Amino acid sequence: MPFVEMRGITKVYPNGVVANDRVNFEVEAGEVHALIGENGAGKTTLMKILYGLERPDAGEIRVHGATVQIRSPLDAIRLGIGMVHQNLLLIPEFTVAENILLGMEPRRWGLWDRPAAVRTVRTMIERYGWKIDPEARVANLSVGARQRVEILKALCRGVDLLILDEPTALLTPQETHELFRSIRDLVREGKTVIFITHKLREVKAIGDRVTVMRQGRVVGTLPVAEASEEQLVAWMLGRQVSTTREHPPARPGPLVLSVEGLSYINEEGRQILRNVSFEIRAGEILGIAGVEGNGQSELVEILAGLRRPTAGEIWLNGQRLPPGNPRRIRQAGLAHIPEDRLRNGVALSLSIAENLIADRYFNPSFSRGGWLDRGAIRRHASALMRAFDIRAPDPEVPVGALSGGNIQRVILARELSQGPLLLLAAQPTRGLDVGATEAVHQLLLQQRSQGAAILLVSSDLSELQELSDRLAVIHNGEIVALFPDPRQISEEEIGLYMLGLKRQPLIDGKMEAGRL
Amino acid sequence: MSESEVLRAILSPAFLASVLRVTTPILLPALGGLVSELAGVINIALEGIMLTAAFVGVVISAYTQSAWAGLAAAMAASAILALGLAFLHLELKADLILTGLAFNLLASGGTVFVLYSLTGDKGTSAKLASRVMPTVDVPLLEAVPILGPVLNHHNVMVYVAFLMVGVVALLLYHTPWGIHVRAVGAHSEAAASVGLNVRALRYQALLLSSLLAGLGGAYMSMGYLQLFQRDMTAGRGFIALAAVFMGGRHPLGTMLAALLFGAADALASQLGNLRIPPQWVQMIPYVATVMALAVYAIVQQAAARRYLRASSLRESGL
Amino acid sequence: MLTGEAMEASRIQRLRRYQAWLEVARPLTTVIAALGVGFLVTLLVSPRPLQAYIALLTGPVSTPARLGTWIEDATGLIWLGLAFAIVFQARQFSLLAEGQLHLGALVAGIVALRMPLPGVLHLIVALGSAAWVGSLYGLIPGVLKAYLGVSELVASLMLNVIAQRFYELLLTYWLKPPGAGYNWTDPFPSTATLGALIPGTRINMGLPLALAGTVLAWLLLYRSTLGYELRVVGANPEFAHYAGIPLRRTILIAMVVSGIPAGLAGAYLAAGIHQRLILNISLGLGFEGIVVALLARNNPALVPFAALLYSYLRIGGDIMERTAAVGSDLVRLIQATIILFLTAEALFEIFRRRVFRRGDLHVGK
Repeated sequence: MPFVEMRGITKVYPNGVVANDRVNFEVEAGEVHALIGENGAGKTTLMKILYGLERPDAGEIRVHGATVQIRSPLDAIRLGIGMVHQNLLLIPEFTVAENILLGMEPRRWGLWDRPAAVRTVRTMIERYGWKIDPEARVANLSVGARQRVEILKALCRGVDLLILDEPTALLTPQETHELFRSIRDLVREGKTVIFITHKLREVKAIGDRVTVMRQGRVVGTLPVAEASEEQLVAWMLGRQVSTTREHPPARPGPLVLSVEGLSYINEEGRQILRNVSFEIRAGEILGIAGVEGNGQSELVEILAGLRRPTAGEIWLNGQRLPPGNPRRIRQAGLAHIPEDRLRNGVALSLSIAENLIADRYFNPSFSRGGWLDRGAIRRHASALMRAFDIRAPDPEVPVGALSGGNIQRVILARELSQGPLLLLAAQPTRGLDVGATEAVHQLLLQQRSQGAAILLVSSDLSELQELSDRLAVIHNGEIVALFPDPRQISEEEIGLYMLGLKRQPLIDGKMEAGRL
Repeated sequence: MSESEVLRAILSPAFLASVLRVTTPILLPALGGLVSELAGVINIALEGIMLTAAFVGVVISAYTQSAWAGLAAAMAASAILALGLAFLHLELKADLILTGLAFNLLASGGTVFVLYSLTGDKGTSAKLASRVMPTVDVPLLEAVPILGPVLNHHNVMVYVAFLMVGVVALLLYHTPWGIHVRAVGAHSEAAASVGLNVRALRYQALLLSSLLAGLGGAYMSMGYLQLFQRDMTAGRGFIALAAVFMGGRHPLGTMLAALLFGAADALASQLGNLRIPPQWVQMIPYVATVMALAVYAIVQQAAARRYLRASSLRESGL
Repeated sequence: MLTGEAMEASRIQRLRRYQAWLEVARPLTTVIAALGVGFLVTLLVSPRPLQAYIALLTGPVSTPARLGTWIEDATGLIWLGLAFAIVFQARQFSLLAEGQLHLGALVAGIVALRMPLPGVLHLIVALGSAAWVGSLYGLIPGVLKAYLGVSELVASLMLNVIAQRFYELLLTYWLKPPGAGYNWTDPFPSTATLGALIPGTRINMGLPLALAGTVLAWLLLYRSTLGYELRVVGANPEFAHYAGIPLRRTILIAMVVSGIPAGLAGAYLAAGIHQRLILNISLGLGFEGIVVALLARNNPALVPFAALLYSYLRIGGDIMERTAAVGSDLVRLIQATIILFLTAEALFEIFRRRVFRRGDLHVGK
C-alpha cells in the first residue's frame, strides 16, 4: 500500500490558471520519489496541497490507505508529512535551536527550557553527522547549513515523509553532494522523500522513481533505472505543435549590445550569474532558453538597469552603460517588456495616457519647463491606442480597469513605439491567448525588421525556435550553449542543455558554435 | 541659583528619586510599545489608552473609594480598547497607524466629554474624591549603600514599572509565548508554517501592550498626580515609542532609553534655575533617537555590503 | 465594434461611474455615519440632546461672526490638508506638518517682530520665510528615508517634538517681551499681518492665499512633471523605477515640497489668526490635517471642501458647548469615528466586491 495517494487532484486559481488537472500521484514508503517538470507544470502546487498550504478544488488524498482532509500544515504534520520550502522559512535573528523547535519548545515550570532544547537539537544534528552549532544564529549560517536546519525542523516534528522543494537551487555542488548523502541516510532510517526538481542529473543521482508533470497534468511515472534522459526530456517539454511560419532570413547589422563577463550575486549571497558574455546585432533576435530560475530573469533586470551586477560590463552601441540606472539605459535606446507585468510594467491606478509616457514625459514633445503638455500626451495616447489596438473608451481610463490582454498591449505600446535599439522581451506571451500571442510575435518580428536588436527570454521553446535568429541556453547562471540556427536543432536536444545534461565546450573562452 | 547649587541639586537623592518617578509613566507604555512592535503590530494608540486608563481609574476609584478597584477598571478599559484596535486592524484591515491616531483622538475627546458630563468640570477631576495608589516603604531598600534613599519610598507603581522590565524580558525571551510573538513579528510566514496562530498572537500582543500602557496611565492619575487632567499624558505615548526604537527594540535598552527621557524631563526643570532653557534638554532624547535611527541604518547598509563582498569572495573560490 | 469590445467598454464605463460615485459618496457616508454615532452618544449624555445637536449642525452659520470663525479655521486646515495630500500622493507617511507648522510660525514671528520692513514686503518676507523653513525641515526626514531607508513616520514624529520645543525656546527666551510673566509675544505690526478680507469679520487674506495655494498644489500634482513623478512613485514605486523615474530624488522632493504649505499654515496661524506668537499655537492641528487629506482622497481640488466640512464640525462643537452645555470634545469623538470609518478599508472592499461581481456577470467569459 502506498504511503500517500493523491487521486484526481484539481486546482484552478482565481485568475483562471489550471495548476493541477486531475492529477494522480502516489508515493511508496521508503522511496525517494522525484517530481519533475518545468516551472508552471504544477509540481509545487501539488505538494502545497499535500502539505495543507493550499486546498484542492477536487480530488482526494489517502495516507496509508485512509482518506484524509489536510486543511493546514498542522494536519499534514500530524499525518507525518513535512515540507522544506524553496525559500527557507527561517527566522534569521533566532538561533538554530529556536528555529527548529519553534512551536514545540520544551518547557520547564512554564518557562522555555533552553538547555533541553539545545541538547535535543544537538543530538539530532550529530545523528546525521552534520556540523551545526545549535546556538548559532541562523543569519550567520551558510545557505546549505540553513537548509539542513529546515530539514531538521521537519524531522523533529516526527515526519515520515519529507517533501523537498527544489532543494539544490540554493546549494553549491559540494553542499548538494552532502545533501544527497543525508537523504540516503534518512531513507535508510525508513523515511520517505519527495524531491521536486527540474535538474535531471539529480533525478538520476538520487531518485528511485520519477514522475513527470507538464502543464498541470501527470505525464507518466517510471522507475529511474528504466528512464532514459531523452524520454524524460520529451515528457517534460512535450511535443509542441509549432505554427508553420516563414522565418524571414536574418540580416544582422552592426553590433548593438555587448555583454562581457557579467556576474551577479543576490542579497542572499547566492551566485545567480556566472561570467555571462554575449552579443546581439541590429535586426537580430537572440533567444534565451532555460528553465525558470536559472538566472535569466536577473539577467534581463540587470540589462534593464533594475539590478546592479557584481562584475562585468555592458556596452550598448559602443557606449559603456552605467549599471543600475534605468533612465540612462532607456535613453541610450533600450526598451523592456517586463516579466512581471503588474508589478513592473504599469501603475494600475493611473490612466492609460499617464502609463504610456512614464519613460518619456520629460521629452520636449510632452513637457516644457516642467509643465506637462496635456494635449500632446493625449494625442500620443490616442495614436498608440489605435496603433496597438488598446481597447478602451478613452485614454483617461485607469489601467487597472483593463483586461489582462489590454494591459499587455499598453506595455507593448509604450516599449515599442519609440523604435528601440535594444528590446528586452521577458516572457512576453505568458498568459496570453493564441490570438494575442500571435500579435506579439508579429510585433517582435516587425521590430526586428526595423533594425532592433532583441533579447527574447521565454519558457516556450517553440516560440523561441520560431522567432530566434540565434538561440542560447542558460543553465545555473551560465550560457551552456549557443545555436546559430535554432530551427535545425530538436527540442529534445535543447532540453538536454536546459536541464544541465550537456554543455558546449568553450574554445578560448568562447562558444564553439560561433562567437558568443 | 549658582551653578554649584544646581549641580548639588541634580546629584541629590531627591532629584534621582524624581527621575525614577518621572520615568515610570514613560517606561510602562514603552514596554507596551516594545511588545507590540516585536509582534509586528506597532501600537500607536498607547497615548490614548494611557489617557483613558488614567481617567477610568480616577472615576471608578472615586465611586468605589478604592484605588485598587480603580486600577482594575483602568486595566479593563485598556483591554477593551486593545480588542477594538486589534479587531479593526486584524479583521477589518484598517490601517494600523491611522486607527491608532483615531483612538488617541477618541480618548482625548472622550475622556473630557465624560468628565464634563459627570462633574461639569472640563479641566480636571478635582471635584471627584478619587483615590491614590499607596506609597511603599521597603526597609530593605534603605540598606542599599548610596542609592538607598533614592530607591525607597516610591509609589507602588514605580516598583511595578521597573519590575515589569524583568517580567517583559522574561516573557519575551524565556517563555514559548514570547518566542512565538517575536517569531510572528520577525517572519510571520515562517511562524504560520509551523502552525502558529499569527492572528491570535497579534491580538495577545496588542492586549499586553495596552495593559502595560494602562498601568502607566493609572499611575499618572493615581500616583504621579492625584487627579485627572485633560490630555495629561502629554505625548508620553509617543515618547514611549521613541524609547523603544532608541533602545534597540529590547527591554533593557527600552528601560535605559526611558530613563534617559525621564532624566531629561527632570533635568529640564532643574536647569530652568540656571537660566538654561529647559527646552534644550527636552530635545535631547528626540535628537538622540533620530541620530540612533540614522546610525543604525548606515550600519545595516555597511553590513549588507560586507556580506555581499564576502559572498562573492567565497563564490570565486577564495 | 465587436460584441466583446462593446461589453468591455460598457464594463469600463460602469466601473468608472462607480468609482466616481465612490469618490463623493465615501467621505459623505463616512461623515454622516460618524455624525450618527455622535448623536447617539449625545442622547446618552445630554439632557437636551436635540438642542445640542442642532447647535452643532447649524451653529457655524447662525451668525456672520460664527461664519467668519468657521472660514478662518478652515483656512488653516486647507494648508495642512494640502501638505499631507502632497506627501501622501507619493506614498510617504511623513507626519512632519506639525513641526513644520511650528517652525513656519516661528520664522514668521521673527520676521514680524525683529525685521522691520516696509509695507507689503514685510508680510511677503514673513510668509516666504515660513514656506522656506518648512520645506527645509522636510529635507531631514527626506534624506533619512531616501538615502538611508529610515522610517519617515518615526523620524517625523521625533522631529515634530524637536521643532515644537525649539519654537517654545525662542518664544520664551527671545521673542516675548523681556521680563514678561506670560508666554506670548507682542502683537505683530500690522504690516506683517494678514488683513481682513471682509471688514468686520475674521475672514482674512489668508483665505484667498489658501485657495491660491490649492490651485498651485493641484497644478503641481496634475500638470507638472514633478507632480507626475510624485504620483507615479506613489502609485507603484517599482514601476517608477523600471521606467527610469529617480525614486530617491522624488521621495526627497515630496517631503520638501509638502513643507511649503505646512510652513505657511504656521505663518497663517501666527500672522492671520492670532497675530502674535503664543505658546500653544497649534493644539495638534497638524494631525487634524491628516483627516482633511484623507477626506479629500489626497486630491488638492477637494481639500478646501474637506477642510470646510471638518472645520464645520470643530466650530459647531465649540458652539454646541457654549450654548447647550455639551462638551465640545464630543466633536473629537466624531472626528475619531470619521477616521476609523475611513480607514476601515475592508468595509468598502466588501461593498466594492459585490458591485464588481455583479458587473462582471454581464461581460461573459
